[in-house]
Amino acid sequence: MAYLDTYTTSLTASTAAHLLRRATFGPTNQEIVDFTGKTATQAVDLLISNATFRASPPPPVEMDETRADKGQQFLTKPFYGDRTYDYFLFIRYWWIGLMTEQNGHPSVLEKLTAFWQNHFVVTHSSTGDYRFTDRYLRFVRDNAMSNFRTLVIGITKDPGMLVFQNGNENSKESPNENYGRELQELFTVGQKDFAGNANYTEDDVKAAARVLTGWQVNNLWVEGSTSFGSVFNPSRHDTDNKSFSAKYNNTTITGRSGASAGDTELADLTTMLLNHPQTPRHICRKLYRWYINPNVTQEIEDNVIIPLANFFASSGNNYAIVPVLKKLLTSDIFFDSNNFGGIVKSPAEFMVGMLRHFDLPVPDLTSEYTAFRKMMEFQEWAMSKMQLRFLDQPLVFGSVPYYQTGFSKNWINGTTLGLRGQHTDAMVYPWLELKPGYMLGLDFLKWIRQIQPNFSDVAGTEAVTCDVVFAELSKNLFAIEPTQSQKNFLIDTIMMRNIPRTSWKFELNAYRTSPNNADAQNPVLWRCQALMKYMLRMAEYQVF
Amino acid sequence: MKRRQFLTAASSMLLPVMVDGFGVKSLAKNSALVQSLMKTTALNSDRIVVIIYLSGGNDGLNTVIPLEYYSEYMGLRSNIAIPENRVLGLSGNIETGFHPAMTGMQALYNEGKLAIVHAVSYPNPNQSHVRSSDIWMTGVDANQVSSSGWAGRYLNDRFAGYPQNYPNGEMEDPLAVQIGYVGTTTLLGNNQSMGITLSNPDSFYQLIGTQTPNQSDLPCCDAGDLISYVREQQLLAVGYASEIKNAASAGNNLATYPAASAGNELAEQLKIVARLIHGGLKSKIYYVELGGFDTHAGQVGTNNTEGLHAQLLKKLSDGIAAFQNDLKLQGTEDKVIGMTFSDFGRRANSNASKGTDHGVGAPMFVFGTGVKRQVIGTNPNLVSGLLPVNPQSWETSRDIKMQIDFRRVYSDILNDWFGTVPSKTNQLLFRNFNTTSLFSDTVQTISSGAWANPEIWSNGRIPTVAEKIIVNAGHVIDVGQNINAKTLEVNGELRFLGDFNVNITG
Repeated sequence: MAYLDTYTTSLTASTAAHLLRRATFGPTNQEIVDFTGKTATQAVDLLISNATFRASPPPPVEMDETRADKGQQFLTKPFYGDRTYDYFLFIRYWWIGLMTEQNGHPSVLEKLTAFWQNHFVVTHSSTGDYRFTDRYLRFVRDNAMSNFRTLVIGITKDPGMLVFQNGNENSKESPNENYGRELQELFTVGQKDFAGNANYTEDDVKAAARVLTGWQVNNLWVEGSTSFGSVFNPSRHDTDNKSFSAKYNNTTITGRSGASAGDTELADLTTMLLNHPQTPRHICRKLYRWYINPNVTQEIEDNVIIPLANFFASSGNNYAIVPVLKKLLTSDIFFDSNNFGGIVKSPAEFMVGMLRHFDLPVPDLTSEYTAFRKMMEFQEWAMSKMQLRFLDQPLVFGSVPYYQTGFSKNWINGTTLGLRGQHTDAMVYPWLELKPGYMLGLDFLKWIRQIQPNFSDVAGTEAVTCDVVFAELSKNLFAIEPTQSQKNFLIDTIMMRNIPRTSWKFELNAYRTSPNNADAQNPVLWRCQALMKYMLRMAEYQVF
Repeated sequence: MKRRQFLTAASSMLLPVMVDGFGVKSLAKNSALVQSLMKTTALNSDRIVVIIYLSGGNDGLNTVIPLEYYSEYMGLRSNIAIPENRVLGLSGNIETGFHPAMTGMQALYNEGKLAIVHAVSYPNPNQSHVRSSDIWMTGVDANQVSSSGWAGRYLNDRFAGYPQNYPNGEMEDPLAVQIGYVGTTTLLGNNQSMGITLSNPDSFYQLIGTQTPNQSDLPCCDAGDLISYVREQQLLAVGYASEIKNAASAGNNLATYPAASAGNELAEQLKIVARLIHGGLKSKIYYVELGGFDTHAGQVGTNNTEGLHAQLLKKLSDGIAAFQNDLKLQGTEDKVIGMTFSDFGRRANSNASKGTDHGVGAPMFVFGTGVKRQVIGTNPNLVSGLLPVNPQSWETSRDIKMQIDFRRVYSDILNDWFGTVPSKTNQLLFRNFNTTSLFSDTVQTISSGAWANPEIWSNGRIPTVAEKIIVNAGHVIDVGQNINAKTLEVNGELRFLGDFNVNITG
């Protein structure tokens, strides 16, 4: 098989949907239509260039409509400790809103940002200061598509990271090895290579920690402060040379002093880390697991990960991210049908994907902050309970299902299945009113009126069959097209409850004849609800 | 909605696992009843109802055949009529017979364990599957709606605080168990389903570990592996999984059920119900269903005693007979009753496609040793009892008039079987319904009128000499004949229209 060769077949609805499901948090039906017929290269180029549309979205605002400062920006104001958790939630909502919105320009940006957010983890809980979380999110989002070197350097000096991984406390007198370890174990070279050999030594951890001495943060949680950030304090920096093991070709980083020492040594350290042959493999393996399949076999390691890593680190590419992403998303292996449905949806792919699939518009953050908050509260609460906590992950490792044995299966258990079902049911039986006239969920009667041509012309236009309605309601819902016997089961047993399919036409015509009569509406409504409720609870809906 | 409210609302919808990170509240403690199988008291608290839903609208006239009106029956539906000599006779009931496929239910009737409730419906009947079954399941008037089911309301009231405070000492097991893909409205409480659902018999056997899941519809590769895993987790997420497993391992089927090759899906479901009952599961209500009764066309084959409807009735009859026999062998017979219901009845007349269209009245069956009388109401009067009463020439479709409101049966189950206080039952069913005396050895008047009018009697029949009779206060009964009865208690008034006598046989 040609693994990293470019997939040249024009995209069908099915392959376009696959690309959009993986490159974004899930497509609308219209986006699938828009991408059908493009080549993979055209499609991915568009997904990449579309990132500019939301490069600088309006900032989050106070979303509590009972407060006097409702609707106002808060990041431009002095630190306000009383509201720090709420502001953190508003920042989270802001980002989930960007993932969810349907602006006609689907882009790789938010999904890729989420990847880096799960890679270079900084938790809100470690600082409790919403400004730190905001700066961290903006850093990974602004640089998600830049260069891996930029990300490593920037994240090392990120004020949130300095607090979270104790870089803040790392000085020549009392080195703190926390970040020096995670930088290698998680962020760059990885703990072990694919064969299980250690990629660095314990002495390398100590040496890296010494390189990183002297960085501090200021104004963390200082009430009323108007600025904050990271600073390099030369007096805390270890100016001696730092020697690394054979794992790094016995590199020595020359000790520096003075104000620029921190940056200079960090640049050297980053170069050393990025020269380690396992660094690009570690990152490419993680990208493969994120975008294609968590299951990395020796065959995939040899034919996908290693060649992609070589390209990533090549002098021509020099750790630029976008070309690697493009190669991955346009590859034959990406479009291999065996990889369709090969990942369990994360709570974000589940929740954001569902709202996008059903084309439920996101209220405008600035002008409709109350409705926006209600929608995002619904989403954020669901994702958190389903074990995905954006910007506040359980550990520096990121979310468990991205690294633990079983990978994406770890999203699923009795509790999370119950929660997933409850939230899909909320679409089928809407109960959350975002604003007057906007109930979050599905309006099946409206949908039926759209499906039925010449809805009111009962005598002149035949009623559409239940098969047609099923096809519309299930369109693009599953990553893998249901088998004919599954379709028959869904139509006959779930939708029609074992009565003849022809009964549907009588019921639909009764509704067309008396569209305002509840008794005429209900049979049609009830069958659509039963069908959709069942489909959204199917195991097949949990994978993508 | 505030965060906290949403959290509470959301938790209450989760059954019965509680949100606690990845943790799941352990429900693994053994049911006390499972451990002491010996206790099978006949107290009301042990009583169980099995509800069998015949989805689609069963054709009553070809199920319970009014032999006394055979020629009219033949006139209404000659293309699907069961030949008179093939109708199964019922002991002590020469005017009525069963479809020839119903040998099992015939035997149960003859043993006194099965009751026919004739011509059941409700005023202003609706002929939409969805609406009419909803009326039956919610237990409302045709012009009312309810978001809860009749049995769900009963359970909601009886087991206050479910599910948050359950399982507890009073109820360690699921309140109700349904086998079916779509949760029934019947079991909906005020906020959530009061029951747990097993999709199908296979999922039960997979849950208790005696069957491996069907893999045939899985896609290949990792997707298939993941879907299979999710299904496994879905199975384990069935509420009260450990209680069900315990009961399944403690219980046995002692009777022979139709072979799997018979494809009797109802029998397969009832077999599981019997096993769980025997295993001591305390669930009050079991809900099973058999689909396919919407027989607009081809309900009989080339021979009128064969075909689709015959197959369905055979499944029903064989299933109920095996189930009842199982209960008998288990010694659980006295604490279980079963009832059937359907969306509606079908037309008295057949259509040209050898089928029947949506209609009104149809028989219900109630079975078990708990039934005290075997016939409620009378055969539909095919001479003068069809609707419209005086049809126009173009009104060729005739319906079977209601005799018994279905909620009278529900009311009897709640009052007399479960022992609910009548005022509570009235609240659960939104008003008072007259008894049918189904579970009582006494018949009573339900209105004033002529003694010889079946409609004034709770069981819809003129009392026989063997009856204990009560004339209720406020009722004036015109007596135009001699009265023979076992006992007679007159709290109202007997108005003799002539020189007639009362003979009490004691």
